Amino acid sequence: MSQNKKKSAAASFMSACAQNIAEIGSTFVRGDWKTKVSYLILGFGPLMRGQIVKGIALIASEILFFIYMAGFGAKYLSKFSTLGTVATQKVGRKTVYGDNSFLILLFGILTIIIIAAFIVIWRMNIHENLVEETALKNNKPLPSNAKFLSSFLDENFDKTLLTLPCLGIFIFTVLPIIFMICVAFTNYDANHQSPTNLFTWVGLENFRNLFSFGSQGFGGTFVTVLIWTLVWAFFATFIDYFLGLAVAMLINKKGIRFKKLWRTILVLTIAVPQFVSLLYIMKMFGNDGIVNGYLMKWGWISSPIPFWTNPTLARIMIIVINIWVGIPYLMLIATGLLMNIPEDLYESARIDGANSFQMFWKITLPYMLFVTGPFLLTQFTGNLNNFNVIYLLTQGRPQSMKLTGNAGYTDLLVTWLYKMTVNDTNYKMAAVIGIMVFIVTAVVSLVVYNMLPSVKDEEGFQ
Amino acid sequence: MKEKNYASMSRRRTIGNIISYIILILISIIWLFPFYGLIMQSFRSYSSEYGGMVDYIIPKRFSLDNYRFLFSGETNFLRWYKNTVIIAIVVAILQTIIVLCVSYALSRMRFKLRKFLMNFWLILGMFPGFLTMICMYFLLKQFGLTQAGAVPGLILVYIASCGMGYYVCKGYFDTIPKALDEAAKIDGATRAQIFFQMILPLSKPIVIYTALVAFMAPWCDYIFASYVAFGNDKTYNVAVAMTRWVWTNDYQGYFTRFCAGGILVAIPVTILFMCLQKYYVEGVTGGSVKG
Amino acid sequence: MKKKVISALIASVMTASVLAGCGGTAAAPAAAPAAEEKTEEAAPAEEAAPAEEAEAAEAPAVNPDATGDIKIWVADNVVEFTNGRVASFMEEHPEFSGFNVTVEPVGEGDAAGNMITDVEAGADIYAFAQDQIARLVSAGALEEVAPENVEAVKSNNDAGSVAAATVGDTLYAYPLTSDNGYFLYYDSSVITDPSDLDAILADCEAAGKNFYMEINSGWYQTAFFFGTGCTLEYETDDAGNFTAANVDYASDKGVVAMREMIHLNASPAFQNGSAAGEATNVAAIVDGTWDSGTVQELFGDNYACAKLPSFKGSDGNTYQLSGFGGFKLLGVKPQTDEDKLIACDALAAYLADEASQLARYEAVGWGPSNLNAQQSDTVKADVALSALAEQLAYTIPQGQYPGDYWSLATGLGDDVRQGNLTEDSSDEDILAVLQTFQDTCISYAK
Repeated sequence: MSQNKKKSAAASFMSACAQNIAEIGSTFVRGDWKTKVSYLILGFGPLMRGQIVKGIALIASEILFFIYMAGFGAKYLSKFSTLGTVATQKVGRKTVYGDNSFLILLFGILTIIIIAAFIVIWRMNIHENLVEETALKNNKPLPSNAKFLSSFLDENFDKTLLTLPCLGIFIFTVLPIIFMICVAFTNYDANHQSPTNLFTWVGLENFRNLFSFGSQGFGGTFVTVLIWTLVWAFFATFIDYFLGLAVAMLINKKGIRFKKLWRTILVLTIAVPQFVSLLYIMKMFGNDGIVNGYLMKWGWISSPIPFWTNPTLARIMIIVINIWVGIPYLMLIATGLLMNIPEDLYESARIDGANSFQMFWKITLPYMLFVTGPFLLTQFTGNLNNFNVIYLLTQGRPQSMKLTGNAGYTDLLVTWLYKMTVNDTNYKMAAVIGIMVFIVTAVVSLVVYNMLPSVKDEEGFQ
Repeated sequence: MKEKNYASMSRRRTIGNIISYIILILISIIWLFPFYGLIMQSFRSYSSEYGGMVDYIIPKRFSLDNYRFLFSGETNFLRWYKNTVIIAIVVAILQTIIVLCVSYALSRMRFKLRKFLMNFWLILGMFPGFLTMICMYFLLKQFGLTQAGAVPGLILVYIASCGMGYYVCKGYFDTIPKALDEAAKIDGATRAQIFFQMILPLSKPIVIYTALVAFMAPWCDYIFASYVAFGNDKTYNVAVAMTRWVWTNDYQGYFTRFCAGGILVAIPVTILFMCLQKYYVEGVTGGSVKG
Repeated sequence: MKKKVISALIASVMTASVLAGCGGTAAAPAAAPAAEEKTEEAAPAEEAAPAEEAEAAEAPAVNPDATGDIKIWVADNVVEFTNGRVASFMEEHPEFSGFNVTVEPVGEGDAAGNMITDVEAGADIYAFAQDQIARLVSAGALEEVAPENVEAVKSNNDAGSVAAATVGDTLYAYPLTSDNGYFLYYDSSVITDPSDLDAILADCEAAGKNFYMEINSGWYQTAFFFGTGCTLEYETDDAGNFTAANVDYASDKGVVAMREMIHLNASPAFQNGSAAGEATNVAAIVDGTWDSGTVQELFGDNYACAKLPSFKGSDGNTYQLSGFGGFKLLGVKPQTDEDKLIACDALAAYLADEASQLARYEAVGWGPSNLNAQQSDTVKADVALSALAEQLAYTIPQGQYPGDYWSLATGLGDDVRQGNLTEDSSDEDILAVLQTFQDTCISYAK
């Protein structure tokens, strides 16, 4: 079925292309001279037909495009295939920097995107000419400029609202992501660092390195870190979830007083910035911290418990402390949802003689799981990328001679990625790991999403 | 017989309640302990006791040494604090505006690329944020917004991509009946008028939630802030400046000062959060159900 | 661009005027190099410090009109000190008055990472720990020391610090301190003979007190292995990659060192650790100068320091404990503006010279690498520093090590601490462990 879908998608794409080309051709052949000139001078037709605003916008975009290409884009684009060839030199004692591979790659990508965008604008310009010409032929009046402008507050209001956010997302998310995906195919690392050194394309070498299991290869370490990442995300999500639910039910229990007080105490964890609370907790459990200090003073232990230096212990500590971080948040959500459970469900269960455990098992839990299914999924993917807890507590340590790339036993893929970027400037491998994180997240999301009861059976509890 | 049963049930309930209270009190102690320790350490006298790690909680002598140090101008603490406040406020305002715009457009308007945008942003969100750090840094550098210009630079980074976080807000807009829009449209109102005069006044809780979350995030940001501002002490935020006191060996004996600084950072954020807690709960609960 | 053209113009005009001057005045001493002439011609008002000019005969021409910003990164606790030294530099060298110098607190640990992230935005002059030098060179973040300063730096600083500042055959940085090593602090009321390890342990056991040394650290551990004559060093290429490992731990010498660690671990007085602030009931500790204040408080009037003790090995010979010597260095970033480079070089040389090192010692207690400063009365009077200086004769300057070495060494020390190896272990067992260690060390070099 999915193959069918794919085929039809490909087919529809092909036919759309064909249609576009046909329209471009036929518009040129059948169009009047204003339309024909518009193929070279964008917006010429609209300008001649009195559509000043559209015409100016189109011609301005063309002028800007050519200024950009001549002054900026062309020189980066021309070096894009090699990422620069001029090496940095010394003239006397002075340093003369050569090509900057980083900027060539970045602006090369930007230029390609801008060229694509210009082609789209050019296409829109042709379509606009066609529409105007057809309207005039049919003796329909063209919309006035004022009306065109005011449409941006009405039927085109979405364009007004979304332009700026989309631009921001493009520059600061889309462009960097494309850039980093490209970096995964280069040798950009500590030894090939701009501006002093050049880097260049290396094909799939970095991916080969990730899956090579020799002593220098990243393979073994990658598997270790990946497994721990999944284990961590599983425990962090579900332990927090069930304990949070339990605490919420405890506080909501009939006959418990000071409900607000208990909640406020827990919620403090959300309010206090994590770098303050987690760094303090990290110190608390250090070899010289107060926990070990008191245990030793009381004579319970003779030497400090290596909370952060023993791999297994450190992993357990992180999960336990994450409970401290996570429960309040889940408690809030669960409290809100518990109140939504229809009271008559419990009422009828009570009449049937169910005890409170049975009611939890048969009513509360299924309801909660059903309603919060998608939320659990986002929690899970969020935990796959939970940087703060890991990094503030252990920075991925303890490290080991068994792991390459300075990874540690508590490193998640993201913290490893971060350390590679900041400490080792091993950008090429960081980019590869980043792509892996994306694949893991995407696969988990896709698989789990299709398994969710609330997706399968939308009517379940309604 | 029946009465006895009743009595035993009520006794069981009392015992149950007592156990619940004991658990709740234990939980409270565990949850409050780090904050208690933090406060105690911050009052430890720097001059007569060591400023680093010690193996007791209650200081031998209470003093305001650490707070005095922060305000003395020996470090740029006030500057860092000011930077963070500026970033937090500006981000809260701008991010709220952007998120509202995006949410309204996606919730209320139907246009060609709507589905594509939503799916595309969903996929973008699956890439880890740190991946793009180095690229982001050099992009900002092109605009001169690193090091000395790190404060506006950070604001730009925070708000640039915030449109992708529209879920909770859009979910809220979805619950406002469409019939209202239709009625207004018949009365001749434009989409912009509907947005500003009808939807916005109805959205107070979600506006407050969005602003609160946006306000709190910059206080914790260490990663991007340290990357953008490095080597320029005057443009650090509190998180970047103060984590150095714990992580770097240059600052031995700064631990109590870190605690004092942490308290000063936590106070305004906590108070604000507690005041607006109601809206926060509404936001996260609503958001969690929508997914 | 404009600036460059102007400076080129100025330079050519200057050269022309010098040539003209030469032709006209026969009084100019023929031996004097043209460079010095240029300086005097261009800035006749600047006749300050003639002695220095004579000394640095090949110093390049200073353009008194050059302007720019010079950024310096040093650790937070020396920011104020550095500002003071910069001010006095400006007073002594008005020819650099066009430059605006700012000092930022960036610790030696962070400086290297930040420099590598973005060389252009990094500091022009920065302090760093010597183990970062290969990385910095390969990233193009370090300029060679100006040729006119090389001889002075090499002859004025101790050999270890000069070696640490050298990559390949090139001197890349100005040594700043020579105090990043360890030695013995002891309580003179308990320890009678600090020169012998067994005597120290016996004294500690008798007094019921502890001897601290962190044997599961790759840094302290080398005291034993280097002491018995083992080698562990890595060769790096110009790009800073590890190309070869030179290690012979799996040998008779290694076994002797290992046996001594096992022997030490067996003593009831022995504790693993190196932080004076966390040590309890301590009579002696192997630690560095950074903890001198804490130790002084611990021992009070009985505070004493010495070089590390020697020990009688299992083969009957006596060995002196060795170890790493470490240094802080001051580097200059490659510059695209020659005038600024000259200013940076002069300023860096000034901040690392004898007077500055001495002043820095007085201000914050950093042990100087400058030979004359080391001989000064105040430095010599510092017991901790003189113990370190004494120990320095037996240490090996810490070169470049892969990050993995340190965790590997922890594993080796932990094998001893956990009792996997005891005094009853056969030489073969010990050798087998050392062989694994050695092979893994070699595998780190490509």
